[in-house]
Amino acid sequence: MPTPLIHPTPDSELPIAIETLQSVLSHMLPAQADDGDLYIEHGVSESLALEEGRVKHVSASTHQGMGARVIKGESAGHAYTDRFDHAALMQAGKSARAIAESSQSIAPVSIHQGENRPRALYQAMNPADGVDFMLRKLLLEELDALARKLDPRVVQVFANVSSSFSNIHIIRMDGRHIQDARPLVRLNISVVVEQNGKRETGSAGGGGRFSLTRLTEGDEAKRLVHEAVRLALLNLDAHDTPAGNMPVVLGPGWPGILLHEAIGHGLEGDFNRKGSSVFSDKMGQRIAAKGITVVDDGTIPERRGSLTVDDEGTTTNRTVLIEDGILTGYLMDRQNARLMGMKATGNGRRESYAHPVLPRMTNTFMLAGHDDPNDIISSLDRGIYAVNFGGGQVDITSGKFVFTTSEAYYVENGKIQYPVKGATLIGSGHEVLQKVSMIGSDLQLDPGVGTCGKGGQSVPVGVGLPTIRIDELTVGGTEA
Amino acid sequence: MSTNMKNTTEQQISGQSIQLLEAARKCGAIHADAIAICDTGDSISIRNGMVESVEREDAQGIGLRAFVETPKGLAFATASTSDISESGLNKLAEQVIAMARISEPDPDAVPPVGADHPSAEEMQAWADKHDHTDCGWDLEQAKDAALQCEDIARNYSDLISNSEGADASFGGSRVAYASSDGFVAEYAKASASLSVSVIAGTGEQMQRDYAWHRAFNAADLHSPQQIAEEAASRACKRLNPRSMASGEATVIFEPRIASSMLGHLIGAINGRSVLQQRSFLADSLDQKIFPDFINIEDNPNHPDGLGNRLFDGEGTRCSRNQIITDGKLNTFLADRYVAKRLGMQPTGSASRGLTGDIGIGSSNLIWQPGTKTQAEMISAIGNGVLITELIGFGVNGVTGDYSRGAGGFLIENGMISHPVQGITIAGNLKDMFANIEMIGSDLTWFGSSAMPSIAISGMTIAGE
Repeated sequence: MPTPLIHPTPDSELPIAIETLQSVLSHMLPAQADDGDLYIEHGVSESLALEEGRVKHVSASTHQGMGARVIKGESAGHAYTDRFDHAALMQAGKSARAIAESSQSIAPVSIHQGENRPRALYQAMNPADGVDFMLRKLLLEELDALARKLDPRVVQVFANVSSSFSNIHIIRMDGRHIQDARPLVRLNISVVVEQNGKRETGSAGGGGRFSLTRLTEGDEAKRLVHEAVRLALLNLDAHDTPAGNMPVVLGPGWPGILLHEAIGHGLEGDFNRKGSSVFSDKMGQRIAAKGITVVDDGTIPERRGSLTVDDEGTTTNRTVLIEDGILTGYLMDRQNARLMGMKATGNGRRESYAHPVLPRMTNTFMLAGHDDPNDIISSLDRGIYAVNFGGGQVDITSGKFVFTTSEAYYVENGKIQYPVKGATLIGSGHEVLQKVSMIGSDLQLDPGVGTCGKGGQSVPVGVGLPTIRIDELTVGGTEA
Repeated sequence: MSTNMKNTTEQQISGQSIQLLEAARKCGAIHADAIAICDTGDSISIRNGMVESVEREDAQGIGLRAFVETPKGLAFATASTSDISESGLNKLAEQVIAMARISEPDPDAVPPVGADHPSAEEMQAWADKHDHTDCGWDLEQAKDAALQCEDIARNYSDLISNSEGADASFGGSRVAYASSDGFVAEYAKASASLSVSVIAGTGEQMQRDYAWHRAFNAADLHSPQQIAEEAASRACKRLNPRSMASGEATVIFEPRIASSMLGHLIGAINGRSVLQQRSFLADSLDQKIFPDFINIEDNPNHPDGLGNRLFDGEGTRCSRNQIITDGKLNTFLADRYVAKRLGMQPTGSASRGLTGDIGIGSSNLIWQPGTKTQAEMISAIGNGVLITELIGFGVNGVTGDYSRGAGGFLIENGMISHPVQGITIAGNLKDMFANIEMIGSDLTWFGSSAMPSIAISGMTIAGE
């Protein structure tokens, strides 16, 4: 686990003159606006990818721009520009104002640093600093060699290391200036194995909001290679997965994607304000079995899903979504919170200045229970024990969600029998947590690999879960 | 080679590409190519008859791929920036060269020199026919279309209980490509789209569905009424779904769902995946992978396709490509590098963003339709499921293993009986391709692909 550090508050220079921003802001905001802001971002990202034993792809990008927003009631105007010249910035403000009816503007504001700035959850420093391209290249080559050494059936190795660093400036309609500086790194290993003409693949990854040195030094990178090779070889021996309704035990950590899909999206403020979620109007009602508590926590230092402040400048929180089975919280940005008479929870997020703000998850997980994980597995007469997953998806209106296994076992009479092929599990978000009958004591968070898509926008997120037993879930295997 | 555009004032972004190539050359690049883009667009969302959001984009960016000579051979790197000032371009060139020097040379690397470029005459003819920067909408017209579309959808039936809104958007993009062998080209595209999503039923019985259409000209869009009625009728028909028994069944994919099969096919015949042994079709070239009556083509110049293009991301001329004839796989898709490695001709399939690896992509994919209507297909299979929704990502491109969440309608005795939801369908794509029993006459365009209904036997359903 990362050592807790005291990170200095980020303090980067605004890439646009203050006078220009003040002028954009006061021309953009109509007198009757409920809210509005400017979001200025300067980001860099770098990526190295190895295949066929060579670091063939080295790439980088620099992106900068400004997003302008005007909010009035249920309406939002959003405009962005990649250009930092005066005319382009003023035009963005004018476009964002298109929702306003009156011509009167707010009184001019003066931009000032906010007080009581929150403690930074990660270091305001490019995570690639101190790990030059050559070091990253050598790391990937070493991981490639390790994978091939581990097993002669490894025929292809893909390794990718990427890093990014974004300086964010949010200027609210009252002139308050809030900053964040966000590092993010990720390492991914994927292998193809072949045996008697049959090919399979396995992958593993990890990362977070910390320096790349955490991945280049120590054994974490090597552990990921072992894991990718283990998964690929396991899949060579996988049997057909049974099809139909059966009990399912989920392992700890990344299987928490269940929570993200089954309930997380359905508890986002926009869907609930509009009444389009199956959880609309269920506040205070039981939506999960007793003993289940689920939180969304954006405040865990250095985690992939964490943020010091969200993209509206609200300090992030630990929001209890479900407490002992009862629905207690929604995830809120400022607009939806205002319209619902609730508090913004620090979940207003945007992929970049070029995207509008939406209520989104950060790190979503279930708190640990008291059951021994081994007892949970051995409780299965006939069912599936699933430990690793690919992606998932949900229809928040019908509540139907899916997630797909990448490491799963068939269990009979309480004993693991054999690995089974990847299969999609399907359930209903408002029912599945009511069918949880055992909760393990082994809560784990995922290794830092989650990306969530909504409205065409991708943001990094985290999930977590202890081992749990779900008494009934539909397993989409091929063996009817 | 180079070409003159109709209107020189609109040609400014190819100038950026040329300027960037020059900066790269000064920094030590032996070969380079550059791509510049400029996108502007507007969109408006209407919900419950009110403006929910207005959005405006103004994006620019430029990307560079540069090759340098290293002691071990030719190496390259890519990078992009949205800062197109002179200092931004110079910084980008320096950055790419520094990165290329540490990149590992690949003896098969193909620098951007000597591709089969289209001629100046071809480019002029293409520009005269295809280039346009205005799709014919302004914000007020887009707003009216969205208002009308949402209003019709909400009032379609008493069963419609809520709206997720209607969106109308329009915009244009300009792209310039230049390579160090002197090829320079620039083109412009514009399009408009209209979509709506509504909810039928209440509480735990809610069902949502949507419809959308996109066209080069707003005048060619499906009418607000057609889009509204499609979305609303679909949402209403989904109400009161049941599960169904687990077991083997024949499924019919309606066109919007069946188009995902084109995606799986293209993913598997991507030459790069074949090289990397990450495709379940890696060993299937010149083999029958579909029944005799299946024909699929990649057509870069089709009057109904939004994926028309004269050249690909490496400046290679695109031409019509018969991917599947009489069920047989004729070709993998290749850029110049993959073609060299696989010992084939490039297929004009290079697709590239501003930075990162060159990808492989198709232009307009067209699955040739059959003769049966969907109703005739339903009648012919007798019992099975009409699939109208798929969710999740349960497809393994290496093995072809397939398992996805699904919804649709039970087919009993040749008729639709009731909606089903919460089931999965599973199989293996190789078997699914081979087990296509029928194709419909209902060819439907979805932007840059066109797909009829298809019926596949032998899928495993997991339900109750």
